Amino acid sequence: MTNWKTIIACISATAFFAPMAAQAEIGSTLAGVKERGALSCTGHNGSYLGLAEVDDKGNWQGFDIDLCKAMATAIFGTHEGHLNIQPTSWAQRWPSIQSGELDIIIKSSGWTFSRDTDIGMQFSRPYLMASINYMASADTGAESAADLDGGTLCVQTGTTTERNAVEHAAANGYDIEVVPFEKTEEAKAAFLSGRCDAYIEWDLQLAVMRATEIENPDDFVILPDSLSAEPVAMVVRQGDDNWVDIANWLLSALMIAEKSGVTSANVDEMKANPPTPSVAKLLGATPGFGGQLGLEDDWAYNVIKTHGNYSEIWERNLGNGSPYGLARNVNGLIRDGGIMFPLVLD
Amino acid sequence: MTALDHAEIRAMGPSLTESLRRRYFSSPGNTAISLVGGALLLWIVWTVLNWAVFKSVWTTPDGTSEVCKGIDGACWAVIHQRGRLIIFGLFPYEEQWRSTLACVAMLITAILSCVPWFWNALRLAMLWVVGFAIFYILMRGGFLGLLSVRPSEWGGLTLTVFIYAAGILVGMPMAIAFALLRRSELPVISGFIAGLIDGVRSLPLITILFAAALIMPFILPGWLQGDKIWRVIFGFGLFFAAYQAEIIRSGIQALPVGQEEAAKALGMSYFHRTTRIILPQAFRNALPPTINQFVITFKETSLVVIVGFFEVLASGNAAYGSGEWSFAYVEVYVFVGLIYYVFVFSLSRYGAYLERRMRVGQH
Repeated sequence: MTNWKTIIACISATAFFAPMAAQAEIGSTLAGVKERGALSCTGHNGSYLGLAEVDDKGNWQGFDIDLCKAMATAIFGTHEGHLNIQPTSWAQRWPSIQSGELDIIIKSSGWTFSRDTDIGMQFSRPYLMASINYMASADTGAESAADLDGGTLCVQTGTTTERNAVEHAAANGYDIEVVPFEKTEEAKAAFLSGRCDAYIEWDLQLAVMRATEIENPDDFVILPDSLSAEPVAMVVRQGDDNWVDIANWLLSALMIAEKSGVTSANVDEMKANPPTPSVAKLLGATPGFGGQLGLEDDWAYNVIKTHGNYSEIWERNLGNGSPYGLARNVNGLIRDGGIMFPLVLD
Repeated sequence: MTALDHAEIRAMGPSLTESLRRRYFSSPGNTAISLVGGALLLWIVWTVLNWAVFKSVWTTPDGTSEVCKGIDGACWAVIHQRGRLIIFGLFPYEEQWRSTLACVAMLITAILSCVPWFWNALRLAMLWVVGFAIFYILMRGGFLGLLSVRPSEWGGLTLTVFIYAAGILVGMPMAIAFALLRRSELPVISGFIAGLIDGVRSLPLITILFAAALIMPFILPGWLQGDKIWRVIFGFGLFFAAYQAEIIRSGIQALPVGQEEAAKALGMSYFHRTTRIILPQAFRNALPPTINQFVITFKETSLVVIVGFFEVLASGNAAYGSGEWSFAYVEVYVFVGLIYYVFVFSLSRYGAYLERRMRVGQH
């Protein structure tokens, strides 16, 4: 992968210093999108389970894809005909957005210092925490990380996950014996064959593994403790504050809706009889939520009507409505014990 | 030795059982090795057949992977259910007949250009212009009442075939030009072309594709950029040309100097000498490595996935990339492998036919 990093760095450098011949103008992404009549958002070059998949008829679906659709809906009132999903490889993300081929990257991208500063990107608030969790075999009866006391853990040596486990165990006063393996596949195979009590990975990857590689998914549980979490955010070109605002308030609108109990099913009713002034403003019953962003006042209504609130998008793509059955855990709202929160709509 | 001699010898040779005995069972050691080898071969064939045919599931009645639960064999139902995704990628479902026709048009064009009747510059050029026009109209749409489909939605086998055909078509004239220019008597030109060829050859294809797709937009003015797919095809063609130019040059240099000198002595112009005397013989000499290069290039089309094109391997990846079908990646890769096999094997066979026709092997 080092190769790719070098290439990305080179290209980013080129992107930075080359005369910007055909760039989207800074500060005018929304105007450019409206003029084109379509939002260019990221797909994957293949499938990335749960986040970007292709259905039988060649249509994109998944958590990241639904956020792309929500973004297009916020701008145009519907995503049908107004969304170009560009199949994009990992390495291609940054140069593609710099060249204006993409308007926004919603592709499981972690918010890191170098991405934020070196390569001229700006991040939205995180829409997902890539949480590192344990998966244990159900026989152990473990319900939390502390129950693994005295057990064994299969890990790939030298990875951050191994360090996460050691630190978490030390801090929380339980003992876990680390069984190191050279490769991920080896560690995984050893765990599945019963060599260890637990395995450690990003919880989404664990859920995917449980749904797709394991004969009987009920034999394994993902423990709720989050050992560490990497923030995953939308990425836009630096210097367009309005565009970042739209991304941030889109995410907030989805979370306000969840917090206030607004769903795709009851959104019409809620709009007719808003329970709180904040919901009234969210759904455009009272004006003021759209104009400042350059959108229609009922943009959030359209988004929720079509795609649902944060929880509905989660359940459909990653949670109980999907093959993966991933629990929210750290990605829940604060009131549910997670760390997700909407900004305040005043 | 001619073919006739072979046949005669075979007719006069020992009977089948006799030759079997001589070849495989001539001594106890030989017999043992033959038996063990034969048993191993049978076992492998049996295992593969068992997996691929006898214990496999071919269709899915309800579109889910339920039918494949608990079977030992291959789950070909994934191809039944997701095959269209592999062949057409992200092309809109209702419009996929267009993609089919476009792919067929491109294949027919390719097959026709293998027929000797088309082998002159004018006919070949006409054939490919018509072929490409049909392909483009069908795929791009946007007029004649056809729904417009952006190239970023093209995909699957159709895209692979298109990128391959277009890349070769761009690359071949470039290769001929490079080969001739490299032999130029002006050191500036030959030196420049030599540098270009060596430069392109020393870069990995993936870097060239990446640069064509992603760096070019920063450098070229807007009106010169075109769609990403054309830039990638140009990069692909350039890479092909660098290798093919050297193959053609080797073909040219294998010709006796007297050929060109005789043509000069007859007062033929450079153009005539090149197109009538040099190039036809050079191509004949260079046929085996040329076919080789064609085959390699076909397989290299899979690299465009790195710049976000949904060619057949990427759409294969998408086909098993859902919670429902992710267990069936072996079946999908076998299927995609078969597609590659059919294409590459046909190419090799065609190359063998050409060699027989031109009797290259007889020299």
